[in-house]
Amino acid sequence: MISPTSFCLSWLLIVVAHAHAASLSIQSPRFTITSSDASQLRADTLSLTQKPEPLTLGPSDVLKLTFQITETGEGNGVQPHQTFLRFYDTVSGEEGIQPVRVTPGGKAKFELNMARPPLSLPPTTDRPLAVSLILGSFIHDPATFDLFDLSVPSSATPAPHPDKASFHPQPPIVHTFHPEQKVPPKVISAFFAALVFAPWAVLLGLWSQVGVRVPHLLSPRILPFTALLGAFEALLVWYWVDLRLGQVLLYAGILALPTIFAGKTALATTGEWRAGKQ
Amino acid sequence: MAGPKASSQSQATLSHTVSTLWKSYAHKTPDRLKFVDVFLTFLVLSGVIQFAYCVLVTNFPFNAFLAGFASTVGQFVLTASLRAQVNPENHTEFKEVSPERAFADFALGSIVLHFFVFNFLG
Repeated sequence: MISPTSFCLSWLLIVVAHAHAASLSIQSPRFTITSSDASQLRADTLSLTQKPEPLTLGPSDVLKLTFQITETGEGNGVQPHQTFLRFYDTVSGEEGIQPVRVTPGGKAKFELNMARPPLSLPPTTDRPLAVSLILGSFIHDPATFDLFDLSVPSSATPAPHPDKASFHPQPPIVHTFHPEQKVPPKVISAFFAALVFAPWAVLLGLWSQVGVRVPHLLSPRILPFTALLGAFEALLVWYWVDLRLGQVLLYAGILALPTIFAGKTALATTGEWRAGKQ
Repeated sequence: MAGPKASSQSQATLSHTVSTLWKSYAHKTPDRLKFVDVFLTFLVLSGVIQFAYCVLVTNFPFNAFLAGFASTVGQFVLTASLRAQVNPENHTEFKEVSPERAFADFALGSIVLHFFVFNFLG
């Protein structure tokens, strides 16, 4: 609950503040539209209460806007600290803010040449831009005046930035994998497996026909060498099944020493036999 | 017309040549070389069948095909060089290489070859 004293006090404060911060208004706002050959197309004074018919600018027309900023009631011109014209597209939400130069006497003149539109003009379509005047001041209340709607030629689509190609998001990378390779049907696999084993039959059959005798295979001088060669092959099979490269190299190195000696003995022996035969 | 007659004549000559070659091989080649030749035949057949499988059916798994085919080709090369070196007819060509030395080379080469082949086997 608010006490009567405090209510009175706050009301008083508001009144004082209002009296202190005098508001700003604009006097004799006027616009002129001239074409590029300086002929006047349209000219009128602006009413702050009612917007005029939308103003239309051709591609080379010039809009001139003049007004004076005064303190309400007193009539003498003031220079507000900030004066902006705001161009606002109500549909797209694009806006442009253009500072306006104001003389110490409060007079302001703004010129919009569509042949060289200012950078602050937002991108435009066929919709009109709502133009309003914004005044800011340290000692006055801020003020906004809706001036008029302005139709300007629609702007060209902005040129793409030269680096755009490098920086816009790239399409997502989609990995395409090689399809899983299929094992052929079991019948075909079995047939070819049998076919691959067939040469063994040829080998063994022909060997039996050739009939080479190996009388010395079990001789104590030959057998170690053959056995060690077999051990090498067994080691390689073991490598395939289980061992790692380092292990197999170690074991092969160990196995190599006896194999060399056994081979030397065995081959020397066969050499002697061969020499004896001859 | 001389054509068919001539061709049949040449055919007869060809078959005669082949049979002479075969007889000469069967009689004059030492059994040990025949033994090696049988092994070479085995390797050729084995390699051809593996290659046919790779071309006709699938090369999957490719590493196994490489291992199998490389082992037959490599073994063929090693065995062929062994046969060339131990052939008594080539004695003059390989004076410094005794058959024992050739066999030792063959054994060492085979072990190294099989080592690489087993690496590929996967």
